[in-house]
Amino acid sequence: MTKRSWTTHRDAKNAKLEKVAPMMDGKFVKTENAKELLEDLIAPGDKVVLEGDNQKQASFLSKVLASVDPEKVHDLHMIMSSVSRPEHLDIFETGIASKLDFSFAGPQSTRISQMIADGTMNVGDIHTYLELYARLYVDLIPNVVLVAADKVDRDGNLYTGANTEETPVIVESAAFKDGIVIVQSNQIVDKVPRVDIPGDWVDVVVQADQPYQLEPLFTRDPQNITELQVLMGMMAIRGIYEKHNVQTVNHGVGFNTAAIELLLPTYGEQLGLKGKIVPNWEVNPTPTLIPAIESGWVKTIHSFGGEVGMENYIAHRPDIFFVGKDGTMRSNRAFGQMAGQYALDMFVGSTLQIDKYGNSSTVTNGRLSGFGGAPNMGSNPTGRRHSTPAWQSLRPDNDPLGKGQKLVVQMVETFGSNKKPVFVDHLDAEEVRKEAKLANVPIMIYSEDTTHIVTEEGIAYLYKTDSMAERQAAIEAIAGVTPVGLRSNPKQLADLRARGIVALPEDIGVHRNEAKRSLLAAQTMDDLVSWSDGLYNPPAKFRSWS
Amino acid sequence: MRTLWIFPGQGGQRPGMLDNVPQDLKTKVKDLTGVQLTDDEEAYKDSIQIQLGILILQLYNIRQLQGIDEKPDVVAGHSLGVFGAAVAAGVLTEEDAIKIVFLRSTKMKEAYPVGFGMGAIVGLTRKEVIALVEQVNAPDVYVSNQNSELQTALSGSLDGIRKVLALAKDNGAQKALILEVPNPSHSPLMQSAADALQEAFKTVELKRPNCTYLTNYNGHAVHTVDEVKKDMINNLIYPVYWDTMMSVASELGIDTTVEVMPGHAFTKLIHTKLPDLRNITMSEMGIDDTEFLLKKWRKIND
Repeated sequence: MTKRSWTTHRDAKNAKLEKVAPMMDGKFVKTENAKELLEDLIAPGDKVVLEGDNQKQASFLSKVLASVDPEKVHDLHMIMSSVSRPEHLDIFETGIASKLDFSFAGPQSTRISQMIADGTMNVGDIHTYLELYARLYVDLIPNVVLVAADKVDRDGNLYTGANTEETPVIVESAAFKDGIVIVQSNQIVDKVPRVDIPGDWVDVVVQADQPYQLEPLFTRDPQNITELQVLMGMMAIRGIYEKHNVQTVNHGVGFNTAAIELLLPTYGEQLGLKGKIVPNWEVNPTPTLIPAIESGWVKTIHSFGGEVGMENYIAHRPDIFFVGKDGTMRSNRAFGQMAGQYALDMFVGSTLQIDKYGNSSTVTNGRLSGFGGAPNMGSNPTGRRHSTPAWQSLRPDNDPLGKGQKLVVQMVETFGSNKKPVFVDHLDAEEVRKEAKLANVPIMIYSEDTTHIVTEEGIAYLYKTDSMAERQAAIEAIAGVTPVGLRSNPKQLADLRARGIVALPEDIGVHRNEAKRSLLAAQTMDDLVSWSDGLYNPPAKFRSWS
Repeated sequence: MRTLWIFPGQGGQRPGMLDNVPQDLKTKVKDLTGVQLTDDEEAYKDSIQIQLGILILQLYNIRQLQGIDEKPDVVAGHSLGVFGAAVAAGVLTEEDAIKIVFLRSTKMKEAYPVGFGMGAIVGLTRKEVIALVEQVNAPDVYVSNQNSELQTALSGSLDGIRKVLALAKDNGAQKALILEVPNPSHSPLMQSAADALQEAFKTVELKRPNCTYLTNYNGHAVHTVDEVKKDMINNLIYPVYWDTMMSVASELGIDTTVEVMPGHAFTKLIHTKLPDLRNITMSEMGIDDTEFLLKKWRKIND
């Protein structure tokens, strides 16, 4: 009997690296050899992680991967947290890849639906970010990872700076399990400003022909905040933030939450809430937080990723942000998602549809967008054991072994931008499940996790309901003149208000006629720049000046 | 820079639109089909004159764009527009396009002389329109083209369409009207025309597309002769999923659109859906201005 080898993976990796040795100079490969490199290092059927979240993309390596010879490299099993760029799907059309596990596909949601329906692509599953990262260490351990860095030094140490994002969690899954770590770099330098990922974990570095793609995804121009959003923001501050004594929070990316951020220094101040609510945040460095930071509301912010234009501002506010000795922010998407799931009192987000039971989804007709991180933040982690006043305030009083619950708040206007009802009997996602042959309906946030819904009509305190019928009645009461809302009647509404299950603006002391844009601490991008002492530098597309 | 060329179908024709079209294209039409294009009010009551007129106008625009060294990254034609799109993609020759469009328009004219046509509903989703058609239960009414999320067409018997339109108004549609189209295009009722095209394409030599082509019948991005051919033959019996085609164009990274003549209807649609794109409409801009803008944008972009 021959002796079993326990180093087959390591041997395979070494054989691949030996093959490319002639084109390597240390860890470095010339830009023009990138295609040949990938053809030699990636074998048919390999599991390949291609870095790309909703902001930062390994765009050079994705283009090179799309250009390899499908005769040599085919049937790859791609693992991507975000499917964003056209070539992420082109590789399935050409046969370079055949299977996909992913989290978010918003920017390619039409094509991905088509490819699944056609059988061009075999989808493993749709994940939340945390789930996908977790599986990299268990049953989706990659053979090759393709990631992006800002700078790399001669020893292969990576500087990923403010946009460190998910690079560490991806690299670690390969580096210690005989996977191959390939990095594209904007720049090759003698000394990196700081080491975000040690060179010891890196196998190959290629100088990219262009800097990696980076989108300013979390910038919201205050000019576009409506007075309805101001009203809803005022209601949320009074009826939720203040009522539950919320200390730790994540905000979604919509204008609703941008309005709240800009109301804290004005309306919040009038209510005397400064120093009492939301000092600690897990959120990307959204520019609309600048006034709340400058006026002393916000004490700490940890971020999943960076935000274009905020670099210099952050560098000057290390008391607030996580900043390295070099002066640039360090982000970390995996830790951010972990914090968002376990360490927060509250998640506040928005959605495209909510059904009559309170389930919500952003998956609508013909578009399989996935969800990214929202289900991590927007769920009640039953493994949580530490208590906070906000969490404890949702504890049911009739259960001796009861415990608290995370506040999960959905803020929506009753009609969407297409003038169609947001509140529906059935989610489009139910149809999409059939078309895409998914095991489960792609629901973003389940009814059972949703504790509050805020609309321009009022707030439904869903956690107080004790039957599905009552939950439905509470949703109907704030669903306006949508078909779901029209089922509500004055008697039912009066009863729900009397029992504190539904609050209208007047019930919580919010006056509709005070909901003016002038209440926002900043009304333009220019105002945000002034608040920042000129440290915030908006991207060109958000500037009215040049 | 990534450019989408848009080829409209019937609707934007007007007398005199062929004034600048070179004589050789008009002569080609006469030689290949026997049709004398008169380009006047009377002519544009006739579907054959309309379709051939629009086609050669688009062939002229393609020549102009090629003359300033422009190439599309993606092409999209709406209904009749698929033939211009196929010529721009290098799949079909000018001559074959003229012959095929002549056949198509003749067969369409023969198919349903009276009592059939199309309607349009603005302000309801496709799902809502489908529910209304089921409610009316009129035979021979089909939900057809999807021009935007809230713009849906109906094809079939005019009596049935009128019933659906009335119901649509009661259910909150902003507009519900009969279109001036004398055929139930883009519905299964056009099968005989599709069969004739199928037969005719057997002897037409097609070349592999040199850019991405967006199909009418299911809104896919395709790159093969067979897929483009299938769309040219069958688009008459399927809805045009224009809204899906534009979503896919956007996902392919399109940043610039050029709408060839006639009209500017599709530029307006895409501007509402995707306001960040740069648009050129050739019906409002000469080739010199088109060239100036495209070169300028390419300089900024690349």
